[in-house]
Amino acid sequence: MTVAPTSPPATPAPAPAPAPAVEAIHLRKDFGSIRAVDGIDMALPPGRIYGLLGPNGSGKTTLIRLLTGLASATSGKARVLGVDMPSRTNLAHIGYMTQSDGIYPELSVWENLTFFAALYGQTDKADLRRSLEFVELDTRTGTPAQDLSGGMRRRLSMACALAHHPTVIFLDEPTVGVDPALRVQFWDHFHRLAADGATLLVSSHVMDEADRCDELLFIRDGHVLAQGTPRELRKRAGTDNLETAFLSFAAASATTPADTSAASKETAR
Amino acid sequence: MNPLRVAAVFRRIVAQFRRDRRSLALLFVAPLAIIALLGWVLSSSQSTGARIAVVNESTGPVGSLVASRLESALDGQPGIELDKSVTDISTARQMLKDKTLDLVVVLPADFSAQNRKIVLTTLGLNPMAEAASIPAIQKALIGAVMDSAGAVLPTVERSSIYGSPDATQLDTLAPVVVGFFAYFFVFILTGISFLRERIGGTLERLMATPVSRAEIVLGYSLGFGFFATLQVALVLLFVLGRIDIPALGPVPAFAIGLGVRTVGNPLIAYLLVLVLGLGAVSLGIFLSTFARTELQILQFIPIVIVPQGLLGGFFWPIEQLPNLLQPVARILPITYAIDGLRQVMIAGADLSTPQVQLDLGVLAGIAAVFILLAAATIRREVA
Repeated sequence: MTVAPTSPPATPAPAPAPAPAVEAIHLRKDFGSIRAVDGIDMALPPGRIYGLLGPNGSGKTTLIRLLTGLASATSGKARVLGVDMPSRTNLAHIGYMTQSDGIYPELSVWENLTFFAALYGQTDKADLRRSLEFVELDTRTGTPAQDLSGGMRRRLSMACALAHHPTVIFLDEPTVGVDPALRVQFWDHFHRLAADGATLLVSSHVMDEADRCDELLFIRDGHVLAQGTPRELRKRAGTDNLETAFLSFAAASATTPADTSAASKETAR
Repeated sequence: MNPLRVAAVFRRIVAQFRRDRRSLALLFVAPLAIIALLGWVLSSSQSTGARIAVVNESTGPVGSLVASRLESALDGQPGIELDKSVTDISTARQMLKDKTLDLVVVLPADFSAQNRKIVLTTLGLNPMAEAASIPAIQKALIGAVMDSAGAVLPTVERSSIYGSPDATQLDTLAPVVVGFFAYFFVFILTGISFLRERIGGTLERLMATPVSRAEIVLGYSLGFGFFATLQVALVLLFVLGRIDIPALGPVPAFAIGLGVRTVGNPLIAYLLVLVLGLGAVSLGIFLSTFARTELQILQFIPIVIVPQGLLGGFFWPIEQLPNLLQPVARILPITYAIDGLRQVMIAGADLSTPQVQLDLGVLAGIAAVFILLAAATIRREVA
């Protein structure tokens, strides 16, 4: 998708009701004959953490790429902060931590961070130092990224995604390879960001992280199987275990395929 | 276009390459080593004197007269070593095989006043090198004939409008080499680093920032332009300069640099190479789309680099190419760079020369086309 330099205004007009920060309208993406995202509808109000849960290949990453404008939709619309994606200027308000680390192995921790921050116009050194302190890499500023451990690279990748204080944050499997203690800190930080008004969409295939989200979207085969708070979803599935809940929603959608879009629409409130 | 973002991309490229010792060596040491080697070979390649024998198979008086005149004309000519001991063809053939003779002039058995055909026999393993002594033979033949007619052979002296007629191969090759290296290395390095960007997930990441395609291409061009500038400066210095180091103890005297004569302004040569390099950056970005591994970038060398080397005027003038290949040569950027560099360095042309303006203009046009192509391949949608 070609992005014209004259994109819609960066700041969306404030709406009276809490306008959804992230919106998908009949969003569909085909790769050849494979339908990766199959007509997803959702509207996510700001200031919350949304967990995107589903097995590998369920369409989570494609959905995020559609929402960030990195992929163009086959049909339907992706909207962030009221602006149709893709929009290059709107990307200034979006943070995206990709599944691969997406950092330059030859560059040092500090060079990586300052490079990505500079692309967003963020050059406040003190502030950048704080974001390194948060991911506990402030003592490693001069280390080339290729000499970091996998978990450290993940943390650097996160620092690069959040350095410009985005209001909508997409995190694709952010805690893979991060040790449990730091994982707890990550989630605390995510909640602080949400409390400050940021909207977070966190993808994971680890169900035990799901409870830390405000709201969950169960994704399978490009569909939203179910959406709701962890508690609601447990209740609806009649189980205490989210994994079991996921499987029961999956089984329900498999038996009544026609019902899925209606169900997801119903829950998308 | 945001200059801060362009500067960020530029600084990143420079920082990345400062760390990459191997690429730095490729960029700065390799060209010097190759040019030094080339200069060494071309400037002091020794022409081993051609060992020649004249064999007269005929029995008539004409044959023996021509043979003796030929022998005396050849004898003592510089670069020719006449072997008078050989008298029959079979010995001569064996000596050719043994490499104790390089060329045999044979007057066949039927040589006469009516049938004046002389046969030159060589080994045939390297016809081009073996033919090197043929002009001397022809000269000797003419001399022998003129001599017998009582006439005097006029002396011939060459002159040329540009440069000097006795300019060595090195003098004419040097300008070409400067341009070719810059093109080759800039293309390879950009292609590989942009490929890394694509497969390493950083391009995806870049696309998720507000940076525009134009800013990326410009940042890359500035970054690699910076290194190309340093490289060309170093290569030009080496090609044009010369420092003679006197002998010291066991070390014989030697020279650093080739001391190639140039009459033109090196800055204009520089400008030509820079515009050429700009196209190479974008070509590298563009072609990285069609490669999945670094090896596949190298596979573009026979497609992109070698034809340019063969057709661009490096070895043969464009006009001497077959008709079908001439239009191909005229769309290659190297063609215009080589022409421009020769105009400037040998003929002393400057920016007011129409030919140089044309070369620069075409190079800029080609660069512009590849910049657009490169920008078109950097998409928000990368997958």
